[in-house]
Amino acid sequence: MSKLTFKGGLVLENPFPAKEIDLIRIPLPDRVVLPMQQRIGEQAKPCVSIGDHVLTGQVIATIDDNRCAPVHASISGTVVAIDNQVMAHQSGLEALCVTIESDGEDEWMDNSVACTENYDFCTPDTIYNKIRASGIVGMGGAGFPTHTKVRLAKGCHTLIANATECEPGIMCDDALIQAYPIKVIRGVEVLLHICGAERAIIAIEDDKQESIDLLRKFCKNERITIEVIPTKYTSGAEKILVKSLLGIEIPSGGYASDVGVLCQNVGTLVAIFDAVVENRPLISRVVTVTGSAVKEPQNYQVRLGASYDYVLGFADIDEGENNIRMAGMMMGVDLKSSNYSISKNTNCIFVNKPEKKASAQECIRCGMCNTVCPVELLPQQLYWYSKSSNIEKALDYNLLDCIECGCCSYVCPSKIPLVDYYQFAKALNIQQEKEKEQTDNARERFEFREFRLERNKKERGEMMEAKKKSLKEKMAKDKVQKEAIAAAQERVEAAQKARES
Amino acid sequence: MLDAVLTLSILALFLGLVLGYAAIRFRVEGNPLVDQIDEILPQTQCGQCDFPGCRPYAEAIAKGEAQINQCPPGGQEGVDALAELLDVETLPLNAEHGETKPKRIAVVDEEVCIGCTLCIQACPVDAFVGASKVMTQVIASECTGCDLCLPVCPVDCIDMIEIKQTINTFVPDMAELARV
Repeated sequence: MSKLTFKGGLVLENPFPAKEIDLIRIPLPDRVVLPMQQRIGEQAKPCVSIGDHVLTGQVIATIDDNRCAPVHASISGTVVAIDNQVMAHQSGLEALCVTIESDGEDEWMDNSVACTENYDFCTPDTIYNKIRASGIVGMGGAGFPTHTKVRLAKGCHTLIANATECEPGIMCDDALIQAYPIKVIRGVEVLLHICGAERAIIAIEDDKQESIDLLRKFCKNERITIEVIPTKYTSGAEKILVKSLLGIEIPSGGYASDVGVLCQNVGTLVAIFDAVVENRPLISRVVTVTGSAVKEPQNYQVRLGASYDYVLGFADIDEGENNIRMAGMMMGVDLKSSNYSISKNTNCIFVNKPEKKASAQECIRCGMCNTVCPVELLPQQLYWYSKSSNIEKALDYNLLDCIECGCCSYVCPSKIPLVDYYQFAKALNIQQEKEKEQTDNARERFEFREFRLERNKKERGEMMEAKKKSLKEKMAKDKVQKEAIAAAQERVEAAQKARES
Repeated sequence: MLDAVLTLSILALFLGLVLGYAAIRFRVEGNPLVDQIDEILPQTQCGQCDFPGCRPYAEAIAKGEAQINQCPPGGQEGVDALAELLDVETLPLNAEHGETKPKRIAVVDEEVCIGCTLCIQACPVDAFVGASKVMTQVIASECTGCDLCLPVCPVDCIDMIEIKQTINTFVPDMAELARV
């Protein structure tokens, strides 16, 4: 085995291999639904109103939060609704969305501030702002804003282009490289120019021979190396990739930027190229459609906000009731319907024939989960503590370092949905932390109010006391003066009397 | 015989001095039990426990002057936590003091508000912003949902609104997990 690998993980075959990996460009959808809620952070605020005519690439929502990116119209047309719609999320909760009905023209916004081919002459700040304004987020699935990631990694020594593909079954990165190998390389060069790294590594798994050949053919830059790593699941996770490529372990709770590494998915690199050189904000992405109900798994380039149903309409799917799953077979989320829209981090849609899920049994303490955990945690311990809502203990066992890859759930002979428990524990932890912050704040404010009332009372008392005292003094002074005046008057009267007599 | 008595006396005197010094040097200010109880209480400051705030209630519990089941916002979980801390038998929440409601926050109807400032004086955590004869509003992040502003408002312009769950605050249901 090559040294460029890691402990744990799973060697998994693609369950539904495609005969030929192709990139099919889907025609423009009639309507798009663009969610304002991004993966983290608050909802973006729409800056268009119902009835407005928008152009492709026009900003329709902004937010002043570095964890979020602006939202652009992905087609030209009319804004027909700004309302709450159900999100493709395990909670089934609603969030604000902007719906645009197409005018069929696909008329582009004229973004005249282009860096064009000669981006070398642009300062890194100019390009950074361009990336920020183009709404680019991590296309691998995490959806973290690229501009923030680049800013955090300022002064890094190595740039890693992640072409490993997140999970078996997903082929969107492979399809993207085969369609745009030059854009990938140029995207790496643009990022090298702004992040200040000396070298870049394109990491790709050894089962994607065609992509490897294409990248080797087009890569003429000596600062860029192409590393072929063994195909093993979770090799594409940032922490794991940095460790297997460079031998650097990211500290617990840290990010790649903490060890001077910037890691970007190839989809993100193509988006950066499009934004910086071709002047197009992020309005489309590649989505893999696969699963047991799909006759021919395929990759589609589709405008953001198109509905799942619209995309699935181009695939050859078996009739009947099928289960829809967003993202991969390991980390994905089962959805209740297909009534959702493609977002920036929708890398894959699984359409599976309904199958009976094996019910979970008791944990038999076999320890299989411990051997496959790629971040070397103790999934069994985490399971017990998460199950009993003992968050403090789960945190002691580094719950927050869990990357939710699903290896432990996959190998569990009792079919326990381990990752679901960790997600529960993480969400509960966030909730408890927030509540603690709020109660502490309320306590402090209550105590300060008590103190203030007490102080005001005291100050008032002191003021009254002082006033009384000064009045008394004044009265005493007045008395003396009055006496003096009376005495003087008496003297005058006495003198007058003496003169008269 | 005398040696033994003398040795033990000196030893006793010495240890007594050490203990006496330690008692002064490491003296704990206030009652740490009150802090621990206060930590468990939800800090709603609503006064439903018949005490003017969470801290006074905590002090009363510590002195044994109040039962542990008088706090509706803390719920049965809060009562259980207090019972565990104080090592006493847990009690069911006393319904006389009210029932546990989901967390809510106050919102002022700006059309109706007359700027009387009575709510500002009633709020235990200074969550209201306003002044005499101008419209008043609530700082949502500071409101504990104690309802104390409701009875004082002369024009009934304050509504208590339940906080909706969003994708950011979503917590999966453990019961559903266990069923799988």
